[in-house]
Amino acid sequence: MRWSILFGGKAGEGPNVLAHIVAEALVEEGYYVFYSRDYESLIRGGHNFNLLTFSDEKIYSNDSKADILVCLDDATEEIHKNQLKKDSFILKGKKGNMYFAGRIFKLLCLDFKILEKRLKKLEKRFEENMKDAKDGYDEEQKNLCRIIYKKNNLYFTNGSLSFSDGAIKSGLDIYYAYPMTPATPVLTALAQKQIENNFLVLELENEIAVINAAIGSAITGAKSMVGTSGGGFDLMTEALSLTGIAEVPLVIYLAQRPGPGTGVATYTGQGDLNIARHAGHGEFQRVVLAPGNPKECEELASHAFYFSQKFKIPVIVISDKHLAESLYTLTEKSKLIKSAKSTKLERYNSYEKDETGAATENPEIIKRNVERRIKKAAEIEKEAEKFEMYKTYGKKNSNNVIISWGSTNGAILDSTKDLNVKFIQILYIEPFSKSIKKELDGKNIILIENNATGLLANLIAEKTGIFIEDKNKILRYDGRPFLADELKKEIEKRLK
Amino acid sequence: MIATSMKSTWCPGCYNFQILAAFKRFIEGEIANGKKREDFAIVTGIGCHAKIFDYVNLNGLNSLHGRVLPTCLGLKIGNPNLTVFGFSGDGDAYAEGMEHLIHTARYNSNLTYVVHNNQVFALTVGQPTPTTEIGFKDKTTPEGVKIHPLNPIRLMLAAGATFVARVYADVKQIEYVLKEAMKHNGFSFVEVIQPCLIFHNDAGYKEKIYSLEEKGHDKNNFDAAWKKAGEFDYNVVEKIPTGIFYQTKKDVFEDQFEQLKELKKKGIGWKDINR
Repeated sequence: MRWSILFGGKAGEGPNVLAHIVAEALVEEGYYVFYSRDYESLIRGGHNFNLLTFSDEKIYSNDSKADILVCLDDATEEIHKNQLKKDSFILKGKKGNMYFAGRIFKLLCLDFKILEKRLKKLEKRFEENMKDAKDGYDEEQKNLCRIIYKKNNLYFTNGSLSFSDGAIKSGLDIYYAYPMTPATPVLTALAQKQIENNFLVLELENEIAVINAAIGSAITGAKSMVGTSGGGFDLMTEALSLTGIAEVPLVIYLAQRPGPGTGVATYTGQGDLNIARHAGHGEFQRVVLAPGNPKECEELASHAFYFSQKFKIPVIVISDKHLAESLYTLTEKSKLIKSAKSTKLERYNSYEKDETGAATENPEIIKRNVERRIKKAAEIEKEAEKFEMYKTYGKKNSNNVIISWGSTNGAILDSTKDLNVKFIQILYIEPFSKSIKKELDGKNIILIENNATGLLANLIAEKTGIFIEDKNKILRYDGRPFLADELKKEIEKRLK
Repeated sequence: MIATSMKSTWCPGCYNFQILAAFKRFIEGEIANGKKREDFAIVTGIGCHAKIFDYVNLNGLNSLHGRVLPTCLGLKIGNPNLTVFGFSGDGDAYAEGMEHLIHTARYNSNLTYVVHNNQVFALTVGQPTPTTEIGFKDKTTPEGVKIHPLNPIRLMLAAGATFVARVYADVKQIEYVLKEAMKHNGFSFVEVIQPCLIFHNDAGYKEKIYSLEEKGHDKNNFDAAWKKAGEFDYNVVEKIPTGIFYQTKKDVFEDQFEQLKELKKKGIGWKDINR
């Protein structure tokens, strides 16, 4: 079974809270739930929606059609009419969001006590919400689907929460940020947890101050991290280069949204692979990690601290809005790696420096410094090989190989369950695993990316000499994530 | 012990030597009085001033152009027990890094910021900065500077700096003000008026300078400080007041966070926290 509910309404009418309450109840009953958020860059009004998919099997993405359409306002039905099936069920009427929660709980045979518990946890407007919820529950006469309690050890989280937890468990001391969608949820999550876990979260005047302050803290030996999205990352670029020459360990969380420029502030995309790989003048080493689900966010946060501390380099963890803000149901526990603090206050320099820490223009010293920094590349690569640099799924011996990175993972896994394909998900962008060439040689390679030019294809060409045909590139660049049913059709067209 | 073996590359007779001598005397005095070399950290920007990093054997970072203050702030947050001095030129402080200057004054972190103001980008061979006077000519401004200069003292007063001083590039004056700045609990802004022998030579500054203290200026009076700050507009040299314009008490940045207060109490930095 795979059911979808679309919750639509104006910003301020609470489709997101409604979706979350239904989702948590389903997870509590043992169901696998995935929901994504589609919201505009405004605070009140407009049109926002959440697309929730649930199943008794593992799922990590949404479909294009909805079995139930919940309309918190009149516009929703019109906007989403193309997403209705013949027998879709529409809930509408000028009521508060929790009225619809009541109706959905009845429709899905969910225990009203769970709803009451959730509303208590919500605190705000408890009495009114309870009344609305009861009205909805009592008024609804139908049952659409009988939810049967299943005993699964599930947890429900998004990429931002998991990445934050990963950073805390890796010994984060100080997080600096300037608010920018979709990196802000990490700032919020960490801010909420700083006292209890004894670390510090600071917002400074801009991203330039953020990264330079983080460098100042990092050279005192503090485990320091910054977070931003593309535009803010651009502002940090000069200082990123400084971490290269001064050999400062720093973790940078880069949550992508569509660019260039302001792009589409509250939507998703994977257009920043090249800035993660290349930003910053001069030649220096870095590691770029690309988690594809919240579990990997938590794990790769620990890898980021490990590599940054061990090699005194910047490590960039690249996420996107879809991964940062969608809710995933997961079962397996994360495996984190520990990292020791490696830095102490000495004489650091943005100039080439001599053994006393003073600036130098001596050609022999410059050459020695450059070679010491460049030599790290081989050491980093050797170290990275100890870890899972990419994952493979599906039919191990298939001639059809899908390759991708980051948040496309969910839709690819859901859409390829019964297809004759192997799926390779790259976790380590830099360094890039040498084994990938062998995986791809002679195969029918299908590229899937949330960008317009196939940035990963360029990386693969650079690292392996293998060029992916344009007709085999499935690219989405309208700010929206891939949907499993639509993606499946696109993949099927390209199978051999 | 605080000097390095580096040969100086400032021009012969440069006023930066005055600042260097004063800072070294000040640090050596502090160390003689029981402070340790490791208690201090320095940050420099990019420009002639930044060479001071090479001549003073203290920990820290010779940072990027304009980014001295956030780096200083990061050091204080990394270890609030450090005594931090930032050094900038006028290009660094008033052009490239202006946003940080205003905000760091507002944050009131307990650190000292010394601006070597020679009213010119000297190391890039003499272009005008935000404090260069109208009419100044160089190869990039053949028609002369047309824009009115900025008054950093007034800017700092407006931004809420809790210690605002200006001195002339003279060893004694600088050493005195550094001691006062270090005693001050909060952000100390110290501007050093410093002629550049090559690109912006002394326009008779020395004769126009007078001491605020000797004239009985009340440094706790904001209105008096504002008025005195208006006497020199960096454009026309009539009189140049020097000394402490303003000093007041305000909550210090590091004391607003329980986590940092705890580090201060224990005399440690985050480095010493093992999880």
